[in-house]
Amino acid sequence: MTAAEGTIFFLPGLGFGAAAAEPIAEAIGDRLRVVGMDLPGQGQAPDAADGTVGAMVDAALTRIETESDGGPWLLVAHSMGGKVGALVAARVLSGRANVFGLAGAVLLAPSPPTPEPMDDDKRSEMLGWVENGSLSAADARTFLDQNVASPLDGTREQDALAQVQRTSPLSWRRWLDTGSREDVSDAVGVLDLPVVVLAGEDDADLGAAAQPHLLSGVYPRARFVSLPGTGHLLPYERPDEVAAEIVRLWNETVPVSPELSPEWGRLIASDRTPVETRGLLARRALADDPGHQPSALSSAQLTILRALADLLVPQPAGRRIDLAARIDADLASGSGDGWRPAGLPDDASAYRQGLDAIARVWPDSADDQKRLIRCILEGEPIGGAGGDADSDTDADLLKHWFEDLRTDLARTWVAHPATMARLGFDGFATSGAAAVPGYVNLGAGVRDPWEPAGLGHLKTEEADEAGGADDAREAGETA
Amino acid sequence: MKLQGMRTYDHDEIVDVVVIGTGAGGAPLLARLAQRGLRVVALEAGPNLDPEDFTNDEVEAPRINWMSERLSGGETPTAFGPNNSGFGVGGGTLHWGAFTPRPDIRDMRLHTGSDADAGADSGADWPIEHADLTRYIVKVERTIGVSGPTPYPWDAERTYLEPPVDRNAPADLMALGCSRLGIRATDAPAAILNHDREQPHHGPRRGSQNLGSIHQGERFGTKATTANTYLPAAVAAGAEIRPDSMVHGIERDALGRVTAVVYRRGGEEFRQRCAALVLAGGGIETPRLLLNTGLANSSGMVGRNFLAHGAVQVWGRFDEQIRGYRGYPSALISEDFVRPADASFVGGYLLQSLGVMPLTFATSLVRGAGLWGAELVDALDAWRYSAGIGINGECLPRENNRLVLSDERDEWGVPRAVVTFTQGPNEKAIDDHAAGTMTSILEAAGARETRVLPRTAHTLGTCRMSTDPGEGVVDGDGRSHDIPNLWISDNSTFPSSLSANPGLAQMALALRTADRMLA
Repeated sequence: MTAAEGTIFFLPGLGFGAAAAEPIAEAIGDRLRVVGMDLPGQGQAPDAADGTVGAMVDAALTRIETESDGGPWLLVAHSMGGKVGALVAARVLSGRANVFGLAGAVLLAPSPPTPEPMDDDKRSEMLGWVENGSLSAADARTFLDQNVASPLDGTREQDALAQVQRTSPLSWRRWLDTGSREDVSDAVGVLDLPVVVLAGEDDADLGAAAQPHLLSGVYPRARFVSLPGTGHLLPYERPDEVAAEIVRLWNETVPVSPELSPEWGRLIASDRTPVETRGLLARRALADDPGHQPSALSSAQLTILRALADLLVPQPAGRRIDLAARIDADLASGSGDGWRPAGLPDDASAYRQGLDAIARVWPDSADDQKRLIRCILEGEPIGGAGGDADSDTDADLLKHWFEDLRTDLARTWVAHPATMARLGFDGFATSGAAAVPGYVNLGAGVRDPWEPAGLGHLKTEEADEAGGADDAREAGETA
Repeated sequence: MKLQGMRTYDHDEIVDVVVIGTGAGGAPLLARLAQRGLRVVALEAGPNLDPEDFTNDEVEAPRINWMSERLSGGETPTAFGPNNSGFGVGGGTLHWGAFTPRPDIRDMRLHTGSDADAGADSGADWPIEHADLTRYIVKVERTIGVSGPTPYPWDAERTYLEPPVDRNAPADLMALGCSRLGIRATDAPAAILNHDREQPHHGPRRGSQNLGSIHQGERFGTKATTANTYLPAAVAAGAEIRPDSMVHGIERDALGRVTAVVYRRGGEEFRQRCAALVLAGGGIETPRLLLNTGLANSSGMVGRNFLAHGAVQVWGRFDEQIRGYRGYPSALISEDFVRPADASFVGGYLLQSLGVMPLTFATSLVRGAGLWGAELVDALDAWRYSAGIGINGECLPRENNRLVLSDERDEWGVPRAVVTFTQGPNEKAIDDHAAGTMTSILEAAGARETRVLPRTAHTLGTCRMSTDPGEGVVDGDGRSHDIPNLWISDNSTFPSSLSANPGLAQMALALRTADRMLA
């Protein structure tokens, strides 16, 4: 086993295979495992059954499902791979893939989910290159020259040319005729995950100037980075910059989010977990947006809610869920729990009023803050500038709203898959496609073979007595 | 459920009966009336669902619950939403716990059976014979498939057709604690199949899969709902079920008899003519509709006598991982406390072992125990080592425990319900007694520490049945005292709460009301 913190799955652009990931992999080093992929007809891969983007997505997901260890991973996709990657992310985040752990995406001059803007003459020229079979050395060089801002160094250039020439003419034609023209934006929808889009300033239709227009509706959290003196072949032209952005996105998402062990990730990915649940857990596992712009609350209200969240449901330092931002999103969506204390307005208004009342008297020291919380819990007036905020009725209503707030925070924390694992709950992995969708062993201390090892011992081990010595054997039995 | 190809009726056709609601009150009645050849239409406010629509995820599962807000007041406000309110074809049975004890005869004679000086109101008697109700209960148990132990320790006459479902760790521990204290406890009767069965007009239902997420809805038909039992039978017999149809008006003729209902579906307004109307929307929606239309309330009792079962829980922490979210959540029962010898209160309670899902537990820790901060997180970390026991306890009516209409209107334009509920001294005495009993059992089973979590459950009594028209809204048959072709078939009619959970008794009452309508 590698000691890597996680995995990068790399989807190359037209004309390139898994080998196109190598310069990036070299630049990243041992910290992350980079898995380059051959899409159908590229690299060593045979052609797909048809020329749809969906066929490429199937192939990519099959490989990701096989290679994934259940731990966190980023999707890195270049050009044509970007269109494939959008659908890959959409399927993963809706649970329609047996994989878990997607933390974000780094897109390199990606082809958008909508029909790719492409000059007709350019399309004809490129189609002409494969009329008589694979690309000739001269055509491959022309293709390369057209896509770089300045020549690649010798070894890399040779490597890139070899890959382009290895591409099957059918897959080349299919992309230009069909795949690039396909509109998959409905199937992709909006992908609200951490994303960085890199593009070259010397690229044409998929360059830095075009990308925000093409993708900001698809990836609301996208950060766009333009690379000067760069064409379209980012994996070869700018591997160091690409690697740096990958590591940066990794650092901004994975190590700051609650950790879920690969063993639990594999269980979520498995067929035991229903598709919808897998998608819900995938989305809840995504790191929160540090730049979350509140929609139901004001920035000041969000700030005080974050401070309350830290005290009411304290999380380990460093790896946290932004409970306040998630509640803001829930309030904006209008989801509630089916009731509210009589006398309180609708949930969002009650939150605004309650947070404003607390903000007026919020003290600086943690001890005073806790004292204030106890005061609210007791239904005592908390004072403050608000007109009749001192009345018993208001204190009582504040107390009732505060109970709703505390409940919302606790539920939001528990609903995160990492919290479920921490609490020892694997009930999400029931009601799925397994032949026996529920539990067999129900007693204290025991678990079913499919359950994570930390949840008990297998019945057959009872004679041996449970303990750390069993871990290795259990891992073998459940693999 | 499958509704394709069902018989349909025109809006202008005067159907024999319109039934509002498809849960434990509406569905059995709908099936029986249809099977006797009546032209019947059920209007369900919620959607029609397929088994795949059910999720084990607690955040998303409330799609089967009534989530349009109710307003809750009083000193012990009762929680709605997932706690007690169904939505969708199948009503409350989509989310019910399928815990199916039979009503105790003493609970149906609460007033005459009590010493009466325990409080101002010692509850009301049921204007129904226990034996009569039991005959219907036996039919329901057979139809929906109730598993349980035979012999049953508290009822020598009783037999269950299927053996009980598997015990989980909380059930094992409750059994151990009870045996050490000399308390009788046994496997709980539950509407969970033990073996696969072919349900007439529905299809295959699987035997128990030991799922702990049955309150979230269940895909395999192991748990009986009306959507996999009575409603398919009703449709096969010619009933029409209209989902997404929220009734907000009732029309009457010059004599005051119901002639039609007005409902909203997909933003459009419809009127269905009918010769008789059955309200089966449950303890909140039925009185809300009656108060909003101003009908059937000459007694002034619509919305009064709101009852919520005491449902206090005690959780004990053990050394081993209990993980009570596995298996049927309430696999053990004791009826030893229906009338405790040392009681200082009217009525009593049933005990059940408890395992719960994580968000439900977190909610109870916050709302019930008032935990926050490190203490809350520690208690959640201890959840996997914790086994619970809970009660279903008698609740007496109180003057101010009632449902009224708010000024605020819901998405259908109907005033929201405001429910005020304060537990009285009798409920508190039951809670205290039960908490002591449950703590003793858990300690006897080896619990290191215990925690009491107060809670209430169910929505009962708001249109109670009575012999005296001045004391209630409907008679013992479920017929309105005021309007002869208006009937109620849901738990709003319960004169007293019973210590048994209401689902099974409600289905039996529904069959009985259907027979009275046919008589």
